[in-house]
Amino acid sequence: MQSRTLLLAPDASRLKRVQASLVGRRPWVFAGVLVIALLLANAALQGSFLDPGYWPGTLGTLAPFVLVAFASTVPVLGGGIDISVGPLATLVNCLLVATLLPHGLGSPLVAIPILLAVGAAAGCINGLLIVVGRLQPVIATLAMFFVLSGLALHISPAPVPAGDNWTRDLAGTAGPLPGGLLTIGAAVLIWVLLGRTQFLRNLYAVGGDDVATFSAGVNVAAVRIGAYVLSGVFATIAGVALTAVIQTSQASLAASYSLIALAAVSLGGTSLAGGRGGLIGSLLGAAAIFLLQELLAATGVPTSYVQLVYGLLLIAGVVLSGITSKGR
Amino acid sequence: MVLGVFVWGSVQIDGFSSGPSVRAMLVIASLLALASLGQTLVILVGGLDLAVPGYITVGAVATAELAGTKGWPLWAVAVSVVGVCAFAGGVCGAICHYLRVQSLVVTLGMSSVLIGGVIVATKASNLGVPPQDISKWTFVMGETLDVPVPPVVCLAVGVVVGSWLFLAHTPAGRRLYATGANPRAAEGILIRTGRVWITTFAFGAAATGLAGMLIASYSSGASVTIGDPYFYSGLAAVLVGGTALGSARGDFLRTVLGALILTALTTILSGMGLGEGDSRILFGLAIIVVVLAYGRDRRLRDRI
Repeated sequence: MQSRTLLLAPDASRLKRVQASLVGRRPWVFAGVLVIALLLANAALQGSFLDPGYWPGTLGTLAPFVLVAFASTVPVLGGGIDISVGPLATLVNCLLVATLLPHGLGSPLVAIPILLAVGAAAGCINGLLIVVGRLQPVIATLAMFFVLSGLALHISPAPVPAGDNWTRDLAGTAGPLPGGLLTIGAAVLIWVLLGRTQFLRNLYAVGGDDVATFSAGVNVAAVRIGAYVLSGVFATIAGVALTAVIQTSQASLAASYSLIALAAVSLGGTSLAGGRGGLIGSLLGAAAIFLLQELLAATGVPTSYVQLVYGLLLIAGVVLSGITSKGR
Repeated sequence: MVLGVFVWGSVQIDGFSSGPSVRAMLVIASLLALASLGQTLVILVGGLDLAVPGYITVGAVATAELAGTKGWPLWAVAVSVVGVCAFAGGVCGAICHYLRVQSLVVTLGMSSVLIGGVIVATKASNLGVPPQDISKWTFVMGETLDVPVPPVVCLAVGVVVGSWLFLAHTPAGRRLYATGANPRAAEGILIRTGRVWITTFAFGAAATGLAGMLIASYSSGASVTIGDPYFYSGLAAVLVGGTALGSARGDFLRTVLGALILTALTTILSGMGLGEGDSRILFGLAIIVVVLAYGRDRRLRDRI
């Protein structure tokens, strides 16, 4: 009965309620709309953008953005923050290009486990510093930011070219699949599998109210450490995807990737206070930032304007998402 | 802590505690501290300012280009820097407050806008050199009224005293703490939190812009990336000093101490002949040790 009256009387207040509930329950809707708009704009400006032949390349370039965004989403959901994801991704990149490949350890079966172990260990140290050391997440990961970016610089002070290797496929097509889909897919698969365990629910609970969760008998310490380990694993995959795109070792990209990751998380509607949000939002947020850069490049805006426009659009995006979600 | 690091430095390196080296460190630490004044206030009120590099770039490039190349008088440059930065900061504060948006993203965007604006305005060429008048401020062997202390150090000390008087002994300062500690409770006692946010962000931005002018004079030139190192080191100085994010505890004196610790550490590390990579690693480890020593949170089970 109620729903019928609502359907029969579509007035402004109903529209507002629908809008509020839509944005309230699915905070990523805004980023989704933004992605569609940018996609259309890109397609209108560059006819070739929608050509299936270009998809693998585009996805390959998109993958590192999405994966660092994933990596910083997990601790944020648990009420923390991780600003060391950018340096971790570049450390993995430098380790792979400047150490493993020249020493004959570059085959996927050897390199991937080593790199994953490094990433998980770095994440684990973050988690231990925060849980056992009781440091604030920002301080602990800021310190790790310096340590990891220092390690990356130590391994490869100057960029080293990667030569011919398996990661090249990940930026194009690996077998029948686009390589970018493979790396993003791996991360999503881990997330979906974890969704079948108690871990994710506990993570959201810890992010929502850690004291209450602790009182309910959840092992908050383990959940927190787990979140940072998972973040380390995602950042490792991001590092591999980054290597695939740039094919050199680049220690200098660390800071910008950490910032892009946070911007993507926030744009995707994940609350930095913890407990609300998810990977879909970060995926869309990262895609929006990537498409924005593509659009700026495609419109032939002079390079000196790119940063200005990028900043303005970022602010405009946040303001719009703030206005749409204010109805709650 | 400052004493400990300083003693360690004196043992490690010859000439560490000599007059010129101490003066050089004081100048660098003062610049770092002044550049983090805005960040300290913004953190106290409950935000986080990622636009610090933007404000510093505006201040530095304005000094080099407007005062150095075009020959504007310094006060005119200072007024325009304060105007631009305060406007940008105020916009950030207003957006964050009224739309309940994370200050992190807004200020990140603002930083990009400011730096982009500087690139467009200068057509990416920064060849100007800051004029003599302002270089005197940060000259390592400079004197203030015949006392052999560089003026910028005196300025930092003055700002410490001034900010302490302001924060601890004026109604406006108490309002700032109250807003940072609990915005809803602050509204409950009729504090206009929106106004507090906007003025804090605007004042912080203006102060950072002015620090940018001094930084330009110290490095006798400016580029669009001049502000970048001051964001992460500045944040580290605030945090190492013991001002905690999300809880309105701390003041500017702590930031100055944090800046002193970090500057002494950096000097020791580079004095030991380590490369950029190694000194960053040790820098990170040092932050962990320092903060572990006194910056730990309460146990979860004690907070129930």
